[in-house]
Amino acid sequence: MKQQGIWPYLLLVAGLIGLQFSGSNYLTNLANFVAIQALPAIGLSLLMGYTGQISLGHAAFYGLGAYGSVLLATLLGVNMWLAMVLAAVLVGIAAWALGWLVFRLEGHYLAMATLGFGIIVHVILVEMHDWTGGPNGMTGIEPMNLFGHEFYSDKQVFPIVWGACILGIFFAESLVRSPVGLLMRGVSENGRVVASLGASPDRMKRLVLMVSGIYAAVAGALYARYVGYLSPGPFDVGFSIKLLLMVAIGGFAQIWGVLFGVAFVALVSELLKPLGGYDIIVFGVLLVVAVVYCRDGLLQTLFAGVRGTLRLARKSVS
Amino acid sequence: MTAQTVPAPKRVIDIEAVTMAFGGLTALRDVSFSIFENETVSLIGPNGAGKTTLLNVIAGNLRPSSGRVVLRGEPIQGLPPNEINARGIGRTFQSVEIFATLTVLENAMAGGVAATAIGLAPSFLPWGKARRVQNDLARRAREMLDFVGLSAAADMPGGTLPTGQQRLLGIARVMMSGARVLLLDEPGAGLNETEKSALINVISRLSDKGYTIIVVEHDMALVAQVSDRIVVLDQGRLIADGLPDAVKHDPVVIQAYLGRSHDHGVARLRTQVARSEKLLEIDRLSIRYGGVTALDNANVHVNKGEIVALVGPNGAGKSSLVKAVAGFVKPATGTIRYDGADLRALRSPDAVTRKGVSLVPEGRALFPSLTITDNLALGYYTERFRNWGLRGLIAPGLNRNDAFEERKEIAFRLFPILKERQQQQAGMLSGGQAQMLAIARSLMSNPRLLLLDEPSLGLAPKVIDEILHKLLELRAGGLSILLIEQNAQAALQIADRAYVLSTGRIVADGAADSILADPNIASAYLGWDENKPQAETLRSAVS
Ligand SMILES: Nc1ncnc2c1ncn2[C@@H]1O[C@H](COP(=O)(O)OP(=O)(O)OP(=O)(O)O)[C@@H](O)[C@H]1O
Ligand SMILES: [Mg+2]
Repeated sequence: MKQQGIWPYLLLVAGLIGLQFSGSNYLTNLANFVAIQALPAIGLSLLMGYTGQISLGHAAFYGLGAYGSVLLATLLGVNMWLAMVLAAVLVGIAAWALGWLVFRLEGHYLAMATLGFGIIVHVILVEMHDWTGGPNGMTGIEPMNLFGHEFYSDKQVFPIVWGACILGIFFAESLVRSPVGLLMRGVSENGRVVASLGASPDRMKRLVLMVSGIYAAVAGALYARYVGYLSPGPFDVGFSIKLLLMVAIGGFAQIWGVLFGVAFVALVSELLKPLGGYDIIVFGVLLVVAVVYCRDGLLQTLFAGVRGTLRLARKSVS
Repeated sequence: MTAQTVPAPKRVIDIEAVTMAFGGLTALRDVSFSIFENETVSLIGPNGAGKTTLLNVIAGNLRPSSGRVVLRGEPIQGLPPNEINARGIGRTFQSVEIFATLTVLENAMAGGVAATAIGLAPSFLPWGKARRVQNDLARRAREMLDFVGLSAAADMPGGTLPTGQQRLLGIARVMMSGARVLLLDEPGAGLNETEKSALINVISRLSDKGYTIIVVEHDMALVAQVSDRIVVLDQGRLIADGLPDAVKHDPVVIQAYLGRSHDHGVARLRTQVARSEKLLEIDRLSIRYGGVTALDNANVHVNKGEIVALVGPNGAGKSSLVKAVAGFVKPATGTIRYDGADLRALRSPDAVTRKGVSLVPEGRALFPSLTITDNLALGYYTERFRNWGLRGLIAPGLNRNDAFEERKEIAFRLFPILKERQQQQAGMLSGGQAQMLAIARSLMSNPRLLLLDEPSLGLAPKVIDEILHKLLELRAGGLSILLIEQNAQAALQIADRAYVLSTGRIVADGAADSILADPNIASAYLGWDENKPQAETLRSAVS
């Protein structure tokens, strides 16, 4: 297995610096959301793309991370960063436990079970008024601060969320290229064979679900501090589906592709703002198209298409 | 190791009174035997005898209904498969199960990961422990690939290897897990003679290295060459356990499993001369996948009432050819005419089937969750549609079930076991039983031309013998057959004519007898040589 190259990172950092020079607050804000949403999407790609296990409930981990980190900080009165870590650990444990239950199932049944989990968590966020503020949500969440320095504006948050995102990419890329990554890919092809080689496929699935849950929880916690306001809306099943779309456009088992998928969906979302609630129709169609026509992700399919046309063109010229 | 006093052979595995019942069906009854250190034991027996079931019990894929499996004094029955592997028992599967998207090297490496006990935490960094383990695995994996002779293919995706090499890779992969006891389920199925001798070579070198091996196998020539001891199962019971020579001559074993020798009575049936009216005519057919040419300018024809064999090494383009006839693969150039009609003009495979061409695909493609009867009924739909159009599909009653029952009876007469299991799910069948169902299903559509892709795969010698005879009967009833077989010798014995393919080209064709007799063709393309024809080994194994 090849080592990961440094070039994608350099290109990304160069792009981000360029974006800062453009000075546009709008773009910075958009980029921040791309970084935040990339984390759960990468987590989902580890689970779905590399390990072959579907989850339609990933928004729940994202939401639990967001609400959990804020509640822990206020209830325990601990430092917000510690609360973030605690929330991520708790969500990781919850994901592991969920794995005990749901990985008895496969395919459609697994999809149903995780969908159910996502809905349950969303209902809890809506119904537990005393804790979550119910549909009205929680306001006045303190922004991030470190050594007395506040990270409030889009520009200030930018390095933090992108730092987290790049670390997330780096860890994920290392994982999928490690020996354990081989077993993950083995599980996605045939769990029975993996078991015959001495590794428990169910344990692998639980571990990856745990990692995936932690990715989502960290992103949720960053989101809460960045936006300063939490309501159940962004953590519903619709967001789980959107994550699925990002992963599908990225080509499922391609970490960098998923980052592209997130950016693509973010841009399309902006374009679709005038449609209001009906944008979900467009996303649905996109998901179907991506899964049917772009099995390797949008980028690769486009490249392959361009290459094919070039070859044709060259042929017709000569 | 220095030889001191010869120690008594140590028992590695004791199977103690193992019984395995699936609902009402008892797949293993009170089976007991032991396997000793560094022994190669072959487990043979008819299809459905319980061989795979026994491997599943030992490897932890099934928990026995009663009895014990003891590994070096410790009971292990009922432990999960991964723990059994960790205790040193490794297995391969009857259906080849290579990770298709991993490279050959990665497949081998994956086999060793669990044994390194590398945790999740170090895996998040590309250097340090993960890196060391990775490099170590890669080095050992290369050694293993070298051992089984796959070094050259290290960077190819596992899925692109031919079956024979996939089997060897499966062995290298399970060796990586550190297991010293290997359970191999039909490692020789679907391999040609060249590949088989590579496999035999690997198995005997494993034995030299001190591995203890249990092989399930239907190829008696292979069994004869590797076994120290043979254990025979029949209908879940152990009917013989002894040295190869004794077992091969045991009348009980011959009766239950080996059957009579191959060419018995074949000559008589084949003397009926086929009519020389062309049913299928393939002209300058080429097939390409991406840039790879799988078949190059092939001319093949099948006369009415004829059996034509396509033989040659794996990857020669035989399956591609029949898939093109059946409409599953679009050829690049050439024509396919069947009974005067242009098959390439038909839009889909089902239209080809409606014309009376039926394919038994490699790998069976059964509907695993449906019962045997339902699988057969699906095979019959074409016929229903042909006779009654849509009405036949919507109103299946119509009091015309008689016709279905009749065809079903024909299938059951060929394969009586299917009749006993009518209501069983196809997914629960043993490998050989599944192959029988696949053939039976394709006969349900009442075809005039039957395309058979490796019908003998995974079948017991007695059953191969029976099926080949049944093919002759079907031919006598007017069916034309295009037959692909890795077991070229057997195929050539029943065929009227044959084509020899190698790397996409037809390198020889003619009367089956003359090809069978031509020593040059045999040694160059079919992998046996004059001096030790496989049929001889087989016959001497039987008689
Ligand atoms: N999970 C199952 N449920 C029900 N019946 C089963 C199951 N697995 C196997 N059987 C039945 O048990 C019997 C033994 O099957 P097994 O696969 O062990 O045969 P085998 O000796 O390996 O045959 P083959 O040579 O054809 O592979 C068969 O009759 C099969 O139909
Ligand atoms: Mg079997």
